[in-house]
Amino acid sequence: MTFGAMPAPQAWLLLAGCAALAAWLFFRKLRPPRVLVSSLLVWQRVLDEPRELTLWERIRRAVSLILTVAIALALALAIARPSARSAAPGSSRGRVLIVVDSSWSMQARTGSRETRWERALGQARRLAASAAGGVPTALATTADGLVEGPTTDLTRLESALDRIAPGGGDAAAWPQLAGADSVHFITDGAATRLLAPGIVVHSVFEGAPNVAVTAFDVRASASAERAGTAYLEIVNFAQIPQDVHATITRGEAVVLDRHVPMRAGEAIRQLVPLARGGDPRMRVHVEAAQDALDVDDDAFAWIEHANPISITVVGQHTGWLRPLFAGDPDVRVEFVDPAKYGLPAAAAASADGQAPSSVAADVLLFDRWAPDEPPTRPAIYVAPPDVPWLAGRSPSRAWDAGDEKRPRWEAAGTHPVVEGVDPLTLTIEKAHPYSTDTLTAVAQSAIGTPLVYVSDGADRRFVVLTFGPGDSNLAAAPGFPVLMGNAIDWLVRPDAHAARTTGLASFDAAIVRLTGPDNRQVHLSRIDGAALAMLRAPGLYTAEGAGARSTFAVNVGDPQISNLSRTSLSRSDQARPVMAGASGRPWWVYCAAAAFGLALAEWWTWQRRITV
Amino acid sequence: MALRFEDDFLKKLEYLHVVSKRAFAGQNRADRLTPKRGRGLEFADHRQYTPGDDFRHIDWKAYKRLNRLLLRLFDEERDLPIYLMLDASRSMAEAAKFDMARRIAAALCYIGLAHLDRLSIVPFGRGLTHETSPGRGKGRIFRVFEMLEKLEPSGPTDLRQSFKEFASRPRQTGLTVIISDFLDPGGFDKGLKILRTLGHDVMVVHVACERDRDPGAFGDVRFVDTETGDVREVEVTPKLSSAYVAAWEAHAAELEHFCGRYDIGYVRADAERPFEDVILKAFRQGRFVA
Repeated sequence: MTFGAMPAPQAWLLLAGCAALAAWLFFRKLRPPRVLVSSLLVWQRVLDEPRELTLWERIRRAVSLILTVAIALALALAIARPSARSAAPGSSRGRVLIVVDSSWSMQARTGSRETRWERALGQARRLAASAAGGVPTALATTADGLVEGPTTDLTRLESALDRIAPGGGDAAAWPQLAGADSVHFITDGAATRLLAPGIVVHSVFEGAPNVAVTAFDVRASASAERAGTAYLEIVNFAQIPQDVHATITRGEAVVLDRHVPMRAGEAIRQLVPLARGGDPRMRVHVEAAQDALDVDDDAFAWIEHANPISITVVGQHTGWLRPLFAGDPDVRVEFVDPAKYGLPAAAAASADGQAPSSVAADVLLFDRWAPDEPPTRPAIYVAPPDVPWLAGRSPSRAWDAGDEKRPRWEAAGTHPVVEGVDPLTLTIEKAHPYSTDTLTAVAQSAIGTPLVYVSDGADRRFVVLTFGPGDSNLAAAPGFPVLMGNAIDWLVRPDAHAARTTGLASFDAAIVRLTGPDNRQVHLSRIDGAALAMLRAPGLYTAEGAGARSTFAVNVGDPQISNLSRTSLSRSDQARPVMAGASGRPWWVYCAAAAFGLALAEWWTWQRRITV
Repeated sequence: MALRFEDDFLKKLEYLHVVSKRAFAGQNRADRLTPKRGRGLEFADHRQYTPGDDFRHIDWKAYKRLNRLLLRLFDEERDLPIYLMLDASRSMAEAAKFDMARRIAAALCYIGLAHLDRLSIVPFGRGLTHETSPGRGKGRIFRVFEMLEKLEPSGPTDLRQSFKEFASRPRQTGLTVIISDFLDPGGFDKGLKILRTLGHDVMVVHVACERDRDPGAFGDVRFVDTETGDVREVEVTPKLSSAYVAAWEAHAAELEHFCGRYDIGYVRADAERPFEDVILKAFRQGRFVA
């Protein structure tokens, strides 16, 4: 046996001392209360009478003494925090690493009503207690990596165990601890991992029935009536048929509410058309009698095209752009004269009776005109004049001599703005290069003259075309709508769509702020030009940067997680099963509970005059 | 404690009178019949006239009819000597108990005074202490109250010694009322027998309180005798507590049984009982008052 709070000799000394003190106090007794009586005459008579003592009266004092000593011992044990010595960690001479699988399936409830996670924490506590006496022990999870240690302080490990929680994570990630010669992995085996030899696997797997939303997404629609179609997939992973109640809500409105009888292992799929306008937040929730995992009962989606993008076109001769936006239900366009751009709303309204929405527009499109100061909103500039913040030509480049006549755009490029654009459909007469440090050319002519620039700053984002409709067949080229569509998408919706599951996610460098469910700020770390964030809970997240914002949904839905009857741990893995019941609380908790219980028993028997 | 009774209660007391099973001849004229023949109002008998008799009592009508000189005899009406012996030992120091004892004494005094009886209040403990005779008439009740209020319980109880001292002083036989808890380690029987032997009509008022009847404590308790200061450490268990209650009841029953055997009136007055109940019900049922 080891003791978490002190070395074993001190702990044994404490126990012996407490027992001795309790016995001494019991025999010494407190001074009995003094009670004045009229006369001892009656007491004399009572006590002089020979009385036969019952067995209980004879042993009562001994029982009371035993109870007193037991209470003292239990309290001393609670302070010393004993734990049974486990062979595996105790035999280690180097460092011990305890890794707890923090995938979502660990939240599944078992037959004993505890979750796999609670069972895993119990096993981790036992391992930590048996190892922490003298062996440096570290604690890690598959989602967060190393969370504590290596340390010999059991209190720190227990505190860390109280702190950690399931959070998905990458199945391929594995925490590393230098010098660890004993690694214990507590898992349910839901995620398949290739483990290094020598890792001791503790299995908390126990099959459980479950119903889950395994897929939920919204696909955009090109029609003017529909914003998109929601796709829903629900699977009954239970071994028995059961009635599943599914509810889809859009904002606060219920879109679908169905009770579906599902056979064992059956999956149902449902398409739900979504009208334009209205709340873009979608949520699905399922309920069933046999449902051991809660986190996969909810799934979220965001309707990108629920509401159109507002575009303000600023220029004097912008008629050539009207056909581009005409009939596109995803955009709302407003044309503004350059003279009215930047005026206060009231002044602009008085000029023509309408208030310009340039300030609030999602995207500004400047046609052969540019303001003196660059706007903070995302913007597209088509052949802008040489305003100071765009002017200045680098003397070292080949195109410094001036505009390039008949430049040839041969390859589309890989940047999202030019991806998919067919350059061969464009005939450009002249391209006018610009030079500032913030501009990056994403499409160039054969001799290197920039044709399309992007600026990807943290405060603003914009796209510059070095040629206009007067210098090219831009208005008629088939590649032009693609180019504009790409540019608007890139400007308005920062790339955050790759992040769809919980765990570590990478974002566009332009993202400066990430807000999670319940409006909680999510910390962003910047490594190698990318923004990284740990998405710990399913829900809707909003990424903001460069004047634009993008909302995306994070869901758990994964058959590998939700199918709680399946495990990758086979008998050949020699995984040690973790028994149910002992929830893994350290002994001292039981000792304290025992002391409390014994004290309660003593108090109760005293109240009932069984003991005195 | 202020010994005062409500006017209503005093009126009720005035309708009562202390009952003596025997007739005693007092010293002063009053309204109690005595065995003596004398100058009362109630005609009792005739007897033969002898020279020297007061010829004012000769029944002339009888002489005319019988031609004999007969003397008319009348019942003598005198007062009743009542001795209220109040236990003032330390064992009576429990406030409720001593209060009840003094109230009973005061009430009996008032009844006696109202009927012109001759009262003596005799406090006792180890022996007799200051004996008081308030006089006659209801107006003297305030002196009684005053005297009782000043009374403080002290010293041990010795019933035999106290009654022996009472017997040693010359006094008329009469009604002796003993108000006590009868917690005398020497016993109560010898003392009561002395009084009985003197020819007094004895009545016992057994005053007790909750603390006497029940230990009221559990566990290790150090009981201290208020009279002697003796200490006894007792581990009071529920069983022992029950045994104590039974022993006390046995003690009370023994006293009652003794009183019954020696024709001594017995009334138990528990301190927790309403005082008016004790006087108007218990005392009536015990035929102390009528």
